[in-house]
Amino acid sequence: MDQSREELTLELKKHIIEYLNLLEVKPEEIENDELLFGPESKLELDSIDSVELIVLLEREFGVRVTNPTEGRKIFADVNSIVDHIVSSREN
Amino acid sequence: MQRVYITGLGVISSLGAGKEANLKRLCNGQSGIGRASIFESKYTESLFFGEVNLSDDSLKEVTNNQDSVDLSRTALLAFFAAEEAIEQAGLSKGDLSSYRTGIISSSTVGGMCNTVSLYNDANRKEKPSTFIDSYADAEHTMRLIKRYGIKGYSSTINTACSSSANAIMLGARLIRSGRLDRVIVGGSDALAKYTVNGFNAMMILSDEPCTPFDANRKGLTLGEGAGYMILESERVVDNNRVLAEVIGYGNASDAYHPSTTSPESIGPTLAMQKALALGGVKADEIDYINAHGTGTVNNDETELIGFSNIFDQPPIFNSTKSYTGHTLSAAGVIESIYCVFSLLFNEVYPSLGIKHPMKGFASKANETYLSGIEIKHAMSNSFGFGGNCTSIIFKKA
Amino acid sequence: MYITDLKAILPQDTYTEGVLTGQFKEHNEMVFSAIEPNYIGFIPKGLLRRMGKAVRMGVGSGLPLINDHKDIEGVLVATANGGMEDCIKFLNQIVDYDEGILTPTNFVQSTPNSIAAQIALLGKKQGYNITYTNGGLAFENTLLDAMLLFEEGLHSKLLVGGIEEVSDYSYNIDFLLGKYKTEPISKEWYLDSNSVGAYCGEGAAFFVLVPESKEYLCRIKDLDQITYPNEADIDQLTANLLSRNGLTLADIDSVVLGYNGDVRHNKWYDHIGDSVFKKANVFCFKHLVGEYRVCSSAALWFLTHLFQGNKVLYSKMLKEDRHERPLKNALIYNHFDADQHSFILVQK
Repeated sequence: MDQSREELTLELKKHIIEYLNLLEVKPEEIENDELLFGPESKLELDSIDSVELIVLLEREFGVRVTNPTEGRKIFADVNSIVDHIVSSREN
Repeated sequence: MQRVYITGLGVISSLGAGKEANLKRLCNGQSGIGRASIFESKYTESLFFGEVNLSDDSLKEVTNNQDSVDLSRTALLAFFAAEEAIEQAGLSKGDLSSYRTGIISSSTVGGMCNTVSLYNDANRKEKPSTFIDSYADAEHTMRLIKRYGIKGYSSTINTACSSSANAIMLGARLIRSGRLDRVIVGGSDALAKYTVNGFNAMMILSDEPCTPFDANRKGLTLGEGAGYMILESERVVDNNRVLAEVIGYGNASDAYHPSTTSPESIGPTLAMQKALALGGVKADEIDYINAHGTGTVNNDETELIGFSNIFDQPPIFNSTKSYTGHTLSAAGVIESIYCVFSLLFNEVYPSLGIKHPMKGFASKANETYLSGIEIKHAMSNSFGFGGNCTSIIFKKA
Repeated sequence: MYITDLKAILPQDTYTEGVLTGQFKEHNEMVFSAIEPNYIGFIPKGLLRRMGKAVRMGVGSGLPLINDHKDIEGVLVATANGGMEDCIKFLNQIVDYDEGILTPTNFVQSTPNSIAAQIALLGKKQGYNITYTNGGLAFENTLLDAMLLFEEGLHSKLLVGGIEEVSDYSYNIDFLLGKYKTEPISKEWYLDSNSVGAYCGEGAAFFVLVPESKEYLCRIKDLDQITYPNEADIDQLTANLLSRNGLTLADIDSVVLGYNGDVRHNKWYDHIGDSVFKKANVFCFKHLVGEYRVCSSAALWFLTHLFQGNKVLYSKMLKEDRHERPLKNALIYNHFDADQHSFILVQK
């Protein structure tokens, strides 16, 4: 794939903001390694958001996440989502 | 305050059209859940449904709507159940058009079961479809009002799964207040892509027929149906027609999460407490509960926690959603009708599909057909999406 | 029962109450859109981001009242369509993606009861909760329910409100049903229009109600409703309403009528305003907010301020000036599509 990791990461962040309708959040404000879910996270995403992210990955990146439990690990932070997209593309 | 009596029942579900058909399958422990053959959706291959085994055309035939082109399936189901209830209660034209006769119905889907038409109309793709005037939640109520010439109070409620339970509760309150003498109360919901896909997106549908109160339950099974009760005040009722009495009801909000019940079961507990208090009934006087029992991990667990908050020893309980699936807005009234069956015939129907009872609770759902047991007070629970919880208590006539 | 506080997000500056000092918006577009506040700050962003307009307006009007009146016990909401935009967005996903993997938020937000549910959630209200979807009578349903709750003696403060949003989708359906005008608004008072159809509006109006109070804004004394009436029914209902409240026709000093510019439906209002209550002042409100199913909630918001003696609203809403009497007994008479009719009796 020609897309660099940085480009992919930026694209992913833009989609996350759009799908989750994150108000007043710019892509550059989301750290690649900040926790996305749970009360310690800045964005405080919840279980409904995890389903939205599953849809986002499928529609925008053609990547399947088969169940929410698997999703929990993949969606820990932006880096882990990008890792998952990259490894799915390699397979 | 006027006492509130039930004089008519009408029901249509996957167990059949009419009281007799429903009662027979309840007694025989025969579920109505299976593969859908009328409902069109990608999910009919992978999921199970509690479908009413009549096409829209057949429903038009049996409800005297042969010439109609714009009645939604929700409305057709409503017509069937309403007619059965009104007929049993023997309401005359004069009764129906009195200012003191009202109607309170409910629906989650309304006419939105006509997915393609709605898509075209809402996006203004073409000329208006034949169903253009059928979509609103209240539309089926309006059709019933027109058919029966109802001039008194009217209402349509949508609190998701507790809707028709709230309709029964409001009807009883209006009669008690002296404002109405008679009320037709209930609700209707047809299978629809909107709700099937909605619940599927939330990942709470089971890929097998639902097994409420089973340790390995996987989620809910959607169903369709309609039910109506005729409530009448003490002042006007013909005592020979009385089937049961509505003596207690309570509504509360769980206020915890949009789609899960609080671990302490706050909403369900409050609703049951209010119903008992209003009914002047002690917890140990409840002989049977028709539980909300959807078959989701969360509901069944929190419902049992709710029972343990109220009852030292929970009474016999079952979930008839194991027969009909979750009929959404119609669930409250259909399950209340089944409560009245238990009161009338001193029997309790088995909860189906339980292989392993839930761990951590002493009480277990009833799994056998029980007859010859005195059921004097029956409780019906409906706990809706968004935390709207309602509990109603019925008393033997 | 008594109104002690209120809040509205309407196609006028009602939220910051600019209308009370004469800052009216003169609508000359086909849809009267609500003037929404900036919700950031009092609705948590994490929840606000998911809310469609109906939910935003409902929570935006209802939540501040809950925050100011911590002893509110129950929440009663009227909305015919709920979050119709979210609903159709979800439906569009169903069709466009052929029932493939879908996002749940639109579905969860679209159900009519999500407004009452989210107000309860945010306000931590575990009391009575209900949503009425009965078209043009849904708001009246909430009022009667509140009245019953007070009579039943277990509640002493309630939040009731009506919300309706307009989206392209809901507008399309109602337009195809012939409910709206097809020509742009004229500069004259559009209520004198000779064409069919109304102008579509939207909004949310919420009220804090109590059963008894020494200090209050106005009193909702009684109400009634009917579906598919004839003129005799309307007369009978009017007579019943007045007699059971010990009032004569002459006691009604003001009527607030739901004229909406649809020439087909004027006769009902003409009858009430010009024959039945020919000595009462006639006020209108739909030139301010347009037509939508629960707009009697907007009428009540305006009327409450009329009862406070607001002069600019008085002149803006006055259609027929028949006397100089102060407001004491007012009747809101409204119908939706001439199918669902209601009366709300409001007193000083």
